[in-house]
Amino acid sequence: MGDLSRLVLKRLGFGLLTILVVSVLIFFAVELLPGDIAQAVLGQGATEETVAAMREQLGLDRPAPVRYFEWLFGAIQGDFGVSLVSGERVSAAISGRFVNTLFLASYAAVIAVPISILLGVFTALYRNTIFDRVANVATLSTISSPEFFLGYILILFLAIRAAAFPAISSISGDMSLVDLLYRTFLPMLTLVLVVTAHMMRMTRAAIINLLASPYIEMARLKGTPPWKVIVKHALPNAWAPIINVVALNLAYLVTGVVLVEVVFVYPGIGQLLVDAVAKRDFPVVQACCLIFAATFILLNLSADVGAILTNPRLRHPK
Amino acid sequence: MHDKFKNAEVLLQIKDLKIEGYSDETWVPIIKGVDLTLHRGEVMGLIGESGAGKSTIGAAAMGYARDGTRISDGSIEFDGMELTTASEAERRALRGSRIAYVAQSAAASFNPSHKIIDQHTEAPVHYRIRKRFEAQEDAMQLYEQLRLPNPKEIGFRYPHQVSGGQLQRAMTAMAMSCRPDLIIFDEPTTALDVTTQIEVLAAIRDIVDEFNTAAIYITHDLAVVAQMADTIKVLLRGEEVEQAPTRQMLDNPQEDYTKSLWAVRSFHSEQRHRPTDGTEPLISVQNVDAAYTGGVKVLDDVSFDIYPGMTVAVVGESGSGKSTTARCITGLLPPMSGQILCKGEPLPPRYKDRTRDQLRQAQMIYQMADTALNPKVKISEIIGRPAQFYGGLHGPALKQRVDELLDLIELDPAKFYSRYPPELSGGQKQRIGIARALAAEPEFIICDEVTSALDQLVAEGILKLLDRLQQELGLAYMFITHDLATVRSIADEVVVMQHGKVVEQGPKDEMFTPPHHPYTDLLLSSVPEMDPEWLTTVLEERGVDNIGEAADT
Amino acid sequence: MSTFVVLYYTALIGASCLAAYYEKRSVFMLIFSLTLVSFVLGIIGGVGALRFVALSAGLLALAAGTAYAFREFLIQISKPNLAKELRTAPLTAAFGMFVIFTYAIAGIFAPWIAPHGEAEVIGQAFQPPDANMLLGADQLGRDMFSRIIYGARNSVGLALIATLLAFLMGTMAGLFAAVKGGWFDQVMGRVADVIMSVPSLIFALLMLSIFGTGLHVIVVVVAVIYSPRVFRLTRAVAGNIVVMDFIEAAKLRGEKDWYLIRREILPNATAPLIAEFGLEFCFVFLLIAGLSFLGLGIQPPTADWGSMVRENATLISFGDITPLIPAGAIALLTVAVNFVVDWMLFRTSGLKEQ
Repeated sequence: MGDLSRLVLKRLGFGLLTILVVSVLIFFAVELLPGDIAQAVLGQGATEETVAAMREQLGLDRPAPVRYFEWLFGAIQGDFGVSLVSGERVSAAISGRFVNTLFLASYAAVIAVPISILLGVFTALYRNTIFDRVANVATLSTISSPEFFLGYILILFLAIRAAAFPAISSISGDMSLVDLLYRTFLPMLTLVLVVTAHMMRMTRAAIINLLASPYIEMARLKGTPPWKVIVKHALPNAWAPIINVVALNLAYLVTGVVLVEVVFVYPGIGQLLVDAVAKRDFPVVQACCLIFAATFILLNLSADVGAILTNPRLRHPK
Repeated sequence: MHDKFKNAEVLLQIKDLKIEGYSDETWVPIIKGVDLTLHRGEVMGLIGESGAGKSTIGAAAMGYARDGTRISDGSIEFDGMELTTASEAERRALRGSRIAYVAQSAAASFNPSHKIIDQHTEAPVHYRIRKRFEAQEDAMQLYEQLRLPNPKEIGFRYPHQVSGGQLQRAMTAMAMSCRPDLIIFDEPTTALDVTTQIEVLAAIRDIVDEFNTAAIYITHDLAVVAQMADTIKVLLRGEEVEQAPTRQMLDNPQEDYTKSLWAVRSFHSEQRHRPTDGTEPLISVQNVDAAYTGGVKVLDDVSFDIYPGMTVAVVGESGSGKSTTARCITGLLPPMSGQILCKGEPLPPRYKDRTRDQLRQAQMIYQMADTALNPKVKISEIIGRPAQFYGGLHGPALKQRVDELLDLIELDPAKFYSRYPPELSGGQKQRIGIARALAAEPEFIICDEVTSALDQLVAEGILKLLDRLQQELGLAYMFITHDLATVRSIADEVVVMQHGKVVEQGPKDEMFTPPHHPYTDLLLSSVPEMDPEWLTTVLEERGVDNIGEAADT
Repeated sequence: MSTFVVLYYTALIGASCLAAYYEKRSVFMLIFSLTLVSFVLGIIGGVGALRFVALSAGLLALAAGTAYAFREFLIQISKPNLAKELRTAPLTAAFGMFVIFTYAIAGIFAPWIAPHGEAEVIGQAFQPPDANMLLGADQLGRDMFSRIIYGARNSVGLALIATLLAFLMGTMAGLFAAVKGGWFDQVMGRVADVIMSVPSLIFALLMLSIFGTGLHVIVVVVAVIYSPRVFRLTRAVAGNIVVMDFIEAAKLRGEKDWYLIRREILPNATAPLIAEFGLEFCFVFLLIAGLSFLGLGIQPPTADWGSMVRENATLISFGDITPLIPAGAIALLTVAVNFVVDWMLFRTSGLKEQ
């Protein structure tokens, strides 16, 4: 047991370290700007005085490491500074939108994960049949399509021609859950299509990879029926790769929503990020990047921990 | 046919079996019409070199064709049921219940996610032969019969928590779980050390006797099959060579091929002795300790000398540190303490710090010729590169040198000069490996298990070649091996290693005559001999409870 | 009931009977299940749905036919060794090769193929298709068809350059890390971990917000983002080769790192690396298309598929498919590359099992 918890702790520590390094990266990337933030934001036309005033306001006269730690401690407490464009607090602009993004991502995840694992197991069971080949071509095609292509196709057929769902997912806090789910149906479907294809392929690959193992042949030679070979002998050993795939795709969901949010004009954090990039509103860009990166790292971290916990060799040490 | 089974009922009848394998977009025959008759309670040894199709026939006896193979013709009748025409469900219903299988690698054939006993009870519960609890009781009883330690408890461990020899016995117990009529043993002891092999062999033989189970015992090791089988069938490239009761087969083989198999271990090179004129040893390993990074010590105070023109065999089981010693000599693993002298001069511990000439002195020949030769590089370059690198040869001189080397290893230069390694057979690849070592014109070659991946006849050829080269070129060999037969045939001096220590060393003739160090004794007496009574005799000498692991303390 | 419906079912049932007669089990199952599905579809969607099915089936058949013919063509013109490989290609891979071939032609000969200039305004905004403008005009009255052709050059070209750069950096770092090992390997591995721990689109947005959206910035940023993927794969592939005895033999001979990489490792790593190049191209291409779609990629008036989708997006609300065409062009190429890669991966993994 000691080995296991040590491994998990080590992995957690490593994850935290990664987040720290990434935060350094995000903060100091902005320092790479030719000139400094004030100059970059105000542009060539700005007078010396206005630039100096802005420098003062941002505290640029102090050394960068000091500002980094201020920024980091602020971020830990949920304070990301002030937007350069609107002047309002970044945290205020982000918090509501982040919830929306999480809502959309989890909506898609709840539907995509069970479907794709089931389909993955089925394609592994019926490998090399027509069903498997059709699934292969279909999933390859969905993975290869850009999200906005899928999104616009869905809009065209389900929102414009069939008029079954709204093309624009405008939501507000006082809507009922059913209404929310209905309005975000199309962006959810777009995400589900992309993610399901990917997860299903990886699940299939993980299982098929194991089917060549001697213990699977042993199970077959013990007279175990095919479905039981998959469910009882292959699946328990495939959990580690499957958990990895799921986490990877959940992470993808959280970040991949950027494009989908733009297509469906959904008020999420991704839209905010894209706007901020166009307007060079650095505090907002940094805050969004940090949040996305942290989510991404945390999900991958939980996948690794999950893989460690499901490994029988580690769970039952000698 | 064996007299004992004249009146016994026929259990398995294979007639004119043909099996094809899929490779390079076509179906090629791998079994070309084999007949086999097995009676109840009879143990048949299937023996042959790799590629003879023994395993494929074993699987076919269960009505099972591995992925990429198909049964194309013939009939397999098991206890009155024709397997080739039976439905998949009917065939499946036989597997595990009436025909069971014991695989080569027990460690890989147990599912790492389930406890051993749960895998054991799967078949009896599935076939509703026993309830889970009864099946567990039965498993414990079988474990006890197979002399597993802690029979009540061992089943509740996971496969990786149990040693290889124990797992192999647990798998035999699992095969017995439904008391099948027939068990297929597919090289069950090949992956084990000799001292472990003996206990597994004894356990298998006892339990098969006890339940009067028929068995097909597949192996490439004649001495092993002599202990286990009532009848022996010899196969060669998918065809039967001959079949006879064990005793008759050993005493009086009919076919030339069988005779050549039996004669394999007859090669002996004359033993040389250390020069007495005060010549310095060519390589001298002095008090070497070594460990892999962050690991425990794998070598502990290892010392031995190798004199010019002599063969020193380093023997020991897996994990004894014999390959690690070689890595220290070549400089891949710098020792923690101690030193290695070459002609009296200390060698720098790391190979990167050695001069070209020092590197040239010590060449290696590897166990797996497949990984030792780059599959994408032509033979001419593989052999030519060292000559070019050390000797600075170019153009026609280089080509001539390569031709010379190919001649030296008895391969036709015109035929092999511009071919690639994957186009060659195992023995030919090993010869190319030897030529590459010779191309550097060394005085000393480390041979790391060079014959253990090869079939016996081919291995014999390689040993003869090495012996001839030694005489012609005056080479010294360090021969790493676990196979004592090889040691007997080629060594001048022997170093026995166990757990990273040198247990005993000396000239061959002394080493093979008692008295021995107890470990040497155990090692020597565990090597199976051709005599069918060998196992029985050894067990009587040692006593059943005092074999293998029990004695290994 | 219209004649179309009668013909439709007659064709399906006839085909399934033929398949059954010639004992093509899977073909029969496919066609007959399509027949059954069509009953349901016909009831729900009416004749329109059946026409759609027939149209898609026709398109699929056309694609399959093209792929088959193209494969034969390739087999005929290539050397015996390559021809043997090509014979094993499934139709999907052949189709992929055909699409890549077409795109290459369109990209290389764009100025000669396109009827109008890249930024030439020749009509009114959103003018519907006619004989002069095959696909109509875009939001500024430029010829959509010509811009699609030019897009093949700009979008694909940019993605190709970025991929090449990423690939060069990744493979070199990976090969040296595998051969050298030690601290170099460790440092490179950690750097790759950090870069990969930031989602690619987010990383790209951060960098573009700082350095602006010049073409060279995009190439470098995208290459930096994707080179760790190549690094990891190369490191893994080379790592498996480095432990082989023939590498040990070469090291003990005293060979230098560069010789090991060039003569011993690379010849054994080509197959997985080529497949990875295809995959990498897909990722890069999709990322750049996404950036362009967000207005942060290739800047106007250069014709680029991602930006074209964005510029014409409003048309979608009128039920017009124009914005789907550049998006479809992106999807088609990525699908094509993926089909080819899928086959290559299958080949390499299939060989490994033997």
